[in-house]
Amino acid sequence: MSDSCKFKCYIWELPVRWCHWINVVSIVTLAVTGFFIGTPVSFAGSASDFTMGWIRFVHFTAAYAFAVSVLSRMVWSLIGNKYAGWKEFFPYATAAGREKMNKMLRYYMFVDKEVPETIGHNPLATTAYFALFLLYILMILTGFSLYAQHAPQGVMHKSLGFMYALFSDQGMRLTHHFSMWLIFGFIINHIYSAWLMDIKEHGSEISSMFSGYKFTVKKEK
Amino acid sequence: MSKQKVDTEVDSVKQRGDVSQDSEQQEYSVGEILKQRGVSRRDFLKFCSAMTAAMSLPASFAPSVAQALDEVKRPTLVWLNFQDCTGDSEALLRAANPTVGEIILDILSVDYHETIMAAAGHQADEALESTITKYKGKYLCVVEGSISMKDGGIYGCTSGKTHLEIARRVCGSALATIAIGTCASYGGIAAGTPNPTGAVGVMEAVPGATVINLPGCPCNADNLTATVVHYLVFGKIPAMDSKGRPLFAYGKRIHDNCERRPHFDAGQYVEHWGDDAHRKGFCLYKMGCKGPATFHNCPTQRYNEKTSWPVASGHGCAGCSEPDFWDTMGPMYHRLPNVPGFGIEATADKIGLGLVAGAAAAFAVHGALNALRKDKEPQEPKEG
Amino acid sequence: MARIVVDPITRIEGHLRIEAEIEGGRIKDAWSSATMFRGIEKILKGRDPRDAWFWTQRFCGVCTTVHSIASIRAVEDALKIKIPPNAQLIRNIIMGIQNVQDHVIHFYHLHALDWVDITSGLKADPAKTAALAASLSDWPNNSATYFKGVQDKVKAFVASGRLGPFANAYWGHPAYKLPPEANLMATAHYLEALEWQKDVIKIHAILGSKNPHPQTFLVGGMSIPIDPDSQNALNADKLIEIKRLLKKAQDFVEKVYIPDLLAVASFYKEWAGIGEGVGNYLSYGEFPDAGGNQWFPAGAILNKDLSKVIPVDQGKIAEYVDHSWFDNSAGAGKGLHPFEGETEVRYTGPKPPYKNLDTDAKYSFVKSPRYEEKSMEVGPLARILVAYASGHKETKAVVDLVLGKLGVGAPALFSTLGRTAARGIDCLLVAQQTPKWLDELIGNISKGDYRIHNGESWDPSTWPAEAKGYGFHEAPRGALGHWIKIKDQKILNYQAVVPSTWNASPRDAKGQRGPYEAALVGTPVADINKPLEILRTIHSFDPCLACAVH
Ligand code: HEM
Ligand code: HEM
Ligand code: NFV
Ligand code: SF4
Ligand code: SF4
Ligand code: F3S
Ligand SMILES: [Mg+2]
Repeated sequence: MSDSCKFKCYIWELPVRWCHWINVVSIVTLAVTGFFIGTPVSFAGSASDFTMGWIRFVHFTAAYAFAVSVLSRMVWSLIGNKYAGWKEFFPYATAAGREKMNKMLRYYMFVDKEVPETIGHNPLATTAYFALFLLYILMILTGFSLYAQHAPQGVMHKSLGFMYALFSDQGMRLTHHFSMWLIFGFIINHIYSAWLMDIKEHGSEISSMFSGYKFTVKKEK
Repeated sequence: MSKQKVDTEVDSVKQRGDVSQDSEQQEYSVGEILKQRGVSRRDFLKFCSAMTAAMSLPASFAPSVAQALDEVKRPTLVWLNFQDCTGDSEALLRAANPTVGEIILDILSVDYHETIMAAAGHQADEALESTITKYKGKYLCVVEGSISMKDGGIYGCTSGKTHLEIARRVCGSALATIAIGTCASYGGIAAGTPNPTGAVGVMEAVPGATVINLPGCPCNADNLTATVVHYLVFGKIPAMDSKGRPLFAYGKRIHDNCERRPHFDAGQYVEHWGDDAHRKGFCLYKMGCKGPATFHNCPTQRYNEKTSWPVASGHGCAGCSEPDFWDTMGPMYHRLPNVPGFGIEATADKIGLGLVAGAAAAFAVHGALNALRKDKEPQEPKEG
Repeated sequence: MARIVVDPITRIEGHLRIEAEIEGGRIKDAWSSATMFRGIEKILKGRDPRDAWFWTQRFCGVCTTVHSIASIRAVEDALKIKIPPNAQLIRNIIMGIQNVQDHVIHFYHLHALDWVDITSGLKADPAKTAALAASLSDWPNNSATYFKGVQDKVKAFVASGRLGPFANAYWGHPAYKLPPEANLMATAHYLEALEWQKDVIKIHAILGSKNPHPQTFLVGGMSIPIDPDSQNALNADKLIEIKRLLKKAQDFVEKVYIPDLLAVASFYKEWAGIGEGVGNYLSYGEFPDAGGNQWFPAGAILNKDLSKVIPVDQGKIAEYVDHSWFDNSAGAGKGLHPFEGETEVRYTGPKPPYKNLDTDAKYSFVKSPRYEEKSMEVGPLARILVAYASGHKETKAVVDLVLGKLGVGAPALFSTLGRTAARGIDCLLVAQQTPKWLDELIGNISKGDYRIHNGESWDPSTWPAEAKGYGFHEAPRGALGHWIKIKDQKILNYQAVVPSTWNASPRDAKGQRGPYEAALVGTPVADINKPLEILRTIHSFDPCLACAVH
């Protein structure tokens, strides 16, 4: 943390942090188990093993945790503080946001040298987050649609009827599988940027997702 | 039936060439007809239990099936062949419960079926015409094969008329139409990209007709007879899913009824054709089995008098009862379809891996450049 | 001169239309037209070559399996894959029983009603029928009680007033010549064959999971595993069931089909002088052993000259579309070899509903394949003639026996009756041979050879960037060929020239008729409103139009 960061402000409220880390844990779990579901390795010794069974069970359990967490975060965007609010995810909607975004972009492209100070979300990042949330929803919808097919007359299957009308069954599987790679792409970007900003802004970017506090040069009004 | 009466009938067949149109109608119930044909009550009840099972009804329903069949008359059925391969007709020939002989002679009056009927040319046309006029709104129609819609439907014609026109007329005034096989249900093979003839299924070609889809390539004949019996017994068509398929036959995934499911859950898979796992009957998931994506009763109903079904014989399910399976279930030996716009071997994982590697490389470069540059740190604004 | 149209031709596979000009009670000229098109060759482009068999299998559900065989052979040829001996034997058994079952269904259910008047059988004396049947063979069902039962069944059916598929036919036509007893016997066997066929074809279900459209084919072998110690593989239990069914198949052919065929034929000997056709015959040969040697020989016979069998060269095949509803980039009058073949459909016929086709122009969806520009007949007759002329031992024995029983010479084979008889001969030969492949398979298994698939070239990454190959199969209806070009692991071009393509073909650029057309010329027609004779000659080819057009 640089000496100029004197102000400590509370940005990420508890629900935001919880949701973030539940998402992280469940996505890692889902990706590992999902990858195995997609490309299983035959290592079971006998037919009474339940390797794939357990892996799927874990996938589905994590899927529920993930879905609840994503939904909660969406609800929180309506009731939480301004950093958590849904408007944050559309920075280009306001002139100020566009200006901030522009600055950030110029910095990333090595045009500007000045590190732009961000207190809440990085405006560039929120755009990616928005895309990521769409991916989350896609994963949840395709995932539950595939899942519901074991009970085709059940409530879940009925309420996801529109998905079956939109996708072929295999199309759904491919989308579900491929979107995992898109999420991986985001994660690489995301962790890199978090690391970068942590160093550059000296604002405890990374630890803020644990503590909720960021350290800033400016005082937040 | 007196001997004399039969002789007169025989002569009338010869003179007029056709009995069905002119002679006095005697409607017998299926039960009576079977008795007349020397089918014992025991065999009849056996047939009823088989049907009860095929319709996924509890065994306690068998007596009501029998009672209902005792009462219903031998209904009229016309079978139309369009853009087909006749595989579904052949499947009908392999039916066992009842056999095709029993179906034709005892259970239904199959007044038109080009593959088996004796009449040809305009005599065949007349047989169709008179049946659909005489039994308007009362006959069952079975359609095999897709219907070409492109260029006015000229890719399918019989007796100088397009199949589209024939379908609209015949299915339009049928009590119900059974689309047998994936072609008649959803367009099937002819509708595979680029669908050169604009092939579609009956529901699409004849909007407004009452259609029951019995997909499968070919359809399992047991599902056809069960559908007909369902109709005869309950007087209504069976409950169907969103793709117009009866739930009793398409209500569950192959994967959820598959005898190899324990191996799937255990994690025991065939890796190569003919390997030890293949010989032991392990799960065919990695060989491209589409059982997890396919709704059909193959594992329970099986084929050719329950002799076997694809997975039991060592080959994965190809998904033949699903709409557009020709395009969406391929390639057959890959679990997932190709990513549109890429080549055959470009699986989702290869493309995804490339994408992620690309992103990682880009950020590595970005990071390196960042480490080199000198930044202006965020400055404390002047107080004021 | 009267022009008549028979559309639909029934009791065949598919949509065939015959137009014929009749003069003086005989056909002066004829045109054969296929009126349904799907375009599967076109749909195959860009797909995985290993999947092609599954698609081409759906060319036809009657001769199901045959296009799978030709397709996997084409891919195996392109990729130079050698399959294990057991896979070859399993394919032979599958092909063998397909041939036998297909022929029997054709004879009883598609062809018999051209010769047999069911209604006349109702007047037969069951005891005399039994005596007739017993004089032909020792089939256990040849009792008076049995025939009485069948007769009663049919009587009751007729009396119900609903003739179903038997309504409106040519019953009572003067061209029907069988006595009531023979008619009753044939009717009984019509029903018996219906039961029989569904049983014997269970061999396909055991080896291929189901029929129609068995599902255990693989490029490189078969997917039905072999392991006598597993309940999920081909084991003793299943092999013995196949053995039983093969025996059942052979018995029926020997004791019912062949005797019936001979009995019926003896009443219709004049048909040995009708329906000759083009006089050129082509067969690709079939049933390779482990070394690739074919049991039935390949060859071509030109101008009915049985003294010379010409070796087959696939390079001499070309398809013409001068009278077919397709475009041709090579230009009018030019044929294309299947490797360069095209399927650019363009309908130019009359707008439906139509009464007649313009037969001077294009008039069919079937192309016109020619061998060295010659129209060739393919099918059991061609197969048997080539084998006979090549001195094939088993064939010669059976052909001579049949000709002897009918009291006719070899030239009688060039006819409608000859075609129908050759199908029976073919069926008998294959029914007797197939159990031997099973024995061989069992022999291999007991020596511990369980191999069913060669996986060396399974993975497309091992393939060359470009490859091409062809696969031949002698299908029930004759010489079948598939040609494939592979590029970047995908199908670049796929073309099939199918038995019924040869036989049902329209005229070519030179105006040479296709075999159906040629065979109809000269056929008598007693009543133009009931052209039973057209059905006889056309059915003798066992048409399959879904195959022909695909
Ligand atoms: C970030 C979140 C997720 C990731 C990365 C992920 C990843 C994957 C992957 C890679 C597969 C294998 C796909 C294939 O190759 O067939 C898979 C399968 C599956 N996933 Fe997920 N998944 C996620 C979320 C979910 C959710 C929310 C559900 C909801 C229940 C779900 C349900 C399923 C099911 C049912 C399958 C098995 C599909 C089948 O039967 O083939 N997934 N997942
Ligand atoms: C599966 C991996 C991850 C995913 C999908 C993910 C996703 C997200 C999302 C959606 C947000 C926006 C938070 C919100 O507004 O609710 C966020 C913010 C953040 N994440 Fe992650 N995260 C992941 C892993 C990590 C890790 C490992 C770190 C720490 C190294 C991290 C650090 C942060 C920080 C510092 C922020 C706030 C950044 C800002 O918006 O300015 N994340 N993350
Ligand atoms: N022609 C023909 Fe086929 C046969 N046999 C094909 O190869 O019938 Ni459908
Ligand atoms: S569904 Fe299959 S079996 Fe039926 S007509 Fe179509 S291709 Fe043939
Ligand atoms: S073989 Fe196919 S259907 Fe059966 S369990 Fe395996 S994946 Fe599922
Ligand atoms: S391919 Fe078809 S036959 Fe059954 S096992 Fe699969 S649905
Ligand atoms: Mg072709």
